[in-house]
Amino acid sequence: MVTRPSVLPAMPAAAVPAQDWQPTIVAIVCNWCTYAGADMAGTTRLVYPASVRMLRVPCTGRMSPLFVLRAFERGADGVLLSGCHPGDCHYVHGNLYARRRFASFRALLDFMGLDARRFHVSWVSAAEGAKWAKVVTDVTAAVRAAGPLKGWGRLAADGKLPWLPAPPPPPRGTPAAGDQQAIAGHLRALCQQLLEQGKVQQVLGYRPGTLPGRMVPALIGRPEDAKLLDWSDQCHTDLAVYLAGAQRLAGKIGIVVKACDARALNGLLQEAQVRREDLTVIGVSCPGVLDASSLALKCYACDGEVAASCDYTVLPAGAQPGAVGSGARRAVAADPRDAQIEFLSRLPAAERWAFWQAQFDACIRCYACRAVCPYCYCGTCITEKSQPQWIPTTIDGKGNTAWNFIRAYHLAGRCVGCDECSRVCPAGLRLDLLNRRIALEMERRFDYRAGETMDGGPPLAAFQPDDPQEFIY
Amino acid sequence: MDKAGWRLDRTQAEAWLADLLRAGRSVYAPVERNGMRAFGAVVAPGDVTFAEGKTRFSPKEHVFPRTEVLFRYQLDNAGVTLSDPPPDTAERVLFAVRPCDAAGLVRLDGVLADDPFYAARRERTVVVTLGCDEPAPECFCTAVDGAPHGTEGSDVELLPAPDGILVRPLTPKGQALTSISAAGWPAASAQDWEQAAERGRTAAAAILRQPVAKEWAARLESNFESPTWSGIGERCLGCSICAYVCPSCSCFDVQDEGGASCGERCRNWDACSFRQFTAHASGHNPRGDQPARYRQRLLHKFGYYPARGSGQWMCVGCGRCVTLCPVGIDIHEAVRVVMAAQPEKR
Repeated sequence: MVTRPSVLPAMPAAAVPAQDWQPTIVAIVCNWCTYAGADMAGTTRLVYPASVRMLRVPCTGRMSPLFVLRAFERGADGVLLSGCHPGDCHYVHGNLYARRRFASFRALLDFMGLDARRFHVSWVSAAEGAKWAKVVTDVTAAVRAAGPLKGWGRLAADGKLPWLPAPPPPPRGTPAAGDQQAIAGHLRALCQQLLEQGKVQQVLGYRPGTLPGRMVPALIGRPEDAKLLDWSDQCHTDLAVYLAGAQRLAGKIGIVVKACDARALNGLLQEAQVRREDLTVIGVSCPGVLDASSLALKCYACDGEVAASCDYTVLPAGAQPGAVGSGARRAVAADPRDAQIEFLSRLPAAERWAFWQAQFDACIRCYACRAVCPYCYCGTCITEKSQPQWIPTTIDGKGNTAWNFIRAYHLAGRCVGCDECSRVCPAGLRLDLLNRRIALEMERRFDYRAGETMDGGPPLAAFQPDDPQEFIY
Repeated sequence: MDKAGWRLDRTQAEAWLADLLRAGRSVYAPVERNGMRAFGAVVAPGDVTFAEGKTRFSPKEHVFPRTEVLFRYQLDNAGVTLSDPPPDTAERVLFAVRPCDAAGLVRLDGVLADDPFYAARRERTVVVTLGCDEPAPECFCTAVDGAPHGTEGSDVELLPAPDGILVRPLTPKGQALTSISAAGWPAASAQDWEQAAERGRTAAAAILRQPVAKEWAARLESNFESPTWSGIGERCLGCSICAYVCPSCSCFDVQDEGGASCGERCRNWDACSFRQFTAHASGHNPRGDQPARYRQRLLHKFGYYPARGSGQWMCVGCGRCVTLCPVGIDIHEAVRVVMAAQPEKR
């Protein structure tokens, strides 16, 4: 329906004199409240700007960020989402779930540098014709002030880009080689034992790759092959990726996890993608992994202690049952990704927009970010769905903006920050910052940190009646 | 042996680039972009980084773009109107292309030469190669009939020399490019070329990977059902880094983008590692898992094409897929593993 050109005509912005320019605003409204409210505005002969094109959906709960992306992509200058007041939803809770979603993708749109004056949310009941007229008037004024949207999927004309500040030096040195070799030895012995005893049918661990220093995932099925296993500061892959989705392994699996991987595992358990009884979780007390020759950014704030959920702990001193502290007291520092996010957030929106458009322009849509993510386990990814084709297939600014936005958004409240997507990205996109930005929003709004608990559900699959809604008219 | 040609220092090389830009050529060369080296449009000659190994991506996107519009359609009261995209008439120079990447362009020609969009772009492209004196650990050009100083697909050969580069045109296209600036260039001596060739031999000797033997092409294919494939491909996660960074991968998908009243038919890169690449509308997928898809990739490069086509490997040994694979799958190693497996009984 939204692909119909009469709904979303491209705005011939350049041809229209600026003072007479009327923005094109797509208003996506719920059938039961706001649509009826707009009807009320009409029957009571209220006057308001003719700038909105209405799109009626059953409920705010049906409103997806895909609608918003599509509207901007097809030339809308602003988007307004509107539905029933909390408590009035025809489907009882639709708008309460929606409120959390709106909050998270609003934060992401803002971080991507979309002018905040272009995206609005309101509650307008069937009786509030006057409120509808006021909301449309206010939103139109805001979008008018922001001007025509020209830069969607395009590089900044002047080519100037903000440079992210370099991270501070890491809080601790690179892991001691002796400790790593000791860990490797204990891992081999433990895994061999688990395989021999039949506690697991396969072990997921690491072994040396063909390039110097590289470690690659290893799937070991025979006890005598356990000697292939190894450990170093190059054990990057989040092996939990092999537990869900198309690559899912069958049977009893022993899996070697770092602290970050253990959080991903918790998330998969929470989302019922894997059965705990099928897993033997071997936590390595992880001194950190290296990105090039320096401690990876994700490791700065992590002390590497194994998660409580681990069945075994592997320390340089030996392997022990249960989750055991290392006593290593590794030095930690503030998460350097947060400082970079802070830097970008303080920039004027247009500069932030230029930064991300340049990033997205470099994207080649290899979907490695999706492939390495433990949480991207959908059988058919949204980008592969073609009826309708929500994400443009073209490998250009337009398609890449939609893809990278929606990938990050689908991880809202789920991403544990293993940063694998960023590490493997051949184009060097800072996907970690997008993920982390939403994670911080989840923490701030809902006091939720993904992967730390298996209780309850992800925050976007839940709601509180009094969730903050300071951004809603 | 007299190869003639010239010996330029950095200033003279930059002056040549400046002349090319002034002559209206679109020059693409290794430049720093987004914190990595890539083949980008040269704005100022000083941007070009000469001898620092390979770029992150191969230059193939400048002749075979990630996405290109094949035609546009419009539907109104007058009916359907189809229109061609504006023709790409840029006179391109791909500058400081590594010999492996230039060989990759020749492989692309083998598949895409009859495509009018590709052919038009390729026709107006001059390839200036820069010999490679510093092979990286992932490099294996010598294993697939290439060489660090190879000239396959090259119009102008550049070789690194102390404090400069040696230049000589190899084709009429290349001649046209050097003649723009060559009037005042100092000639290179036979000794210059010999010393450069010696560095090339040293570089080749530094590549330790074993050659892939010609007769393996047919034997790889006869190992189609070998259980070895699952061991190789089981850790593949199904992204397409390998195909998209590959100088010789040429697969694409055709998609319509737009709505009922107007839109475009686009050609986008595609890759055999994707599940959807071979998914049928019925739900059946003849390549049902990643090992099967990885087998396709390997056999395409080392089996089907060499055995039935030009006799050339479809892999040029640049090693990008080895470095950038998220899980470290090594195509050269995979060939070796399959060959080491017991041949199937037929």
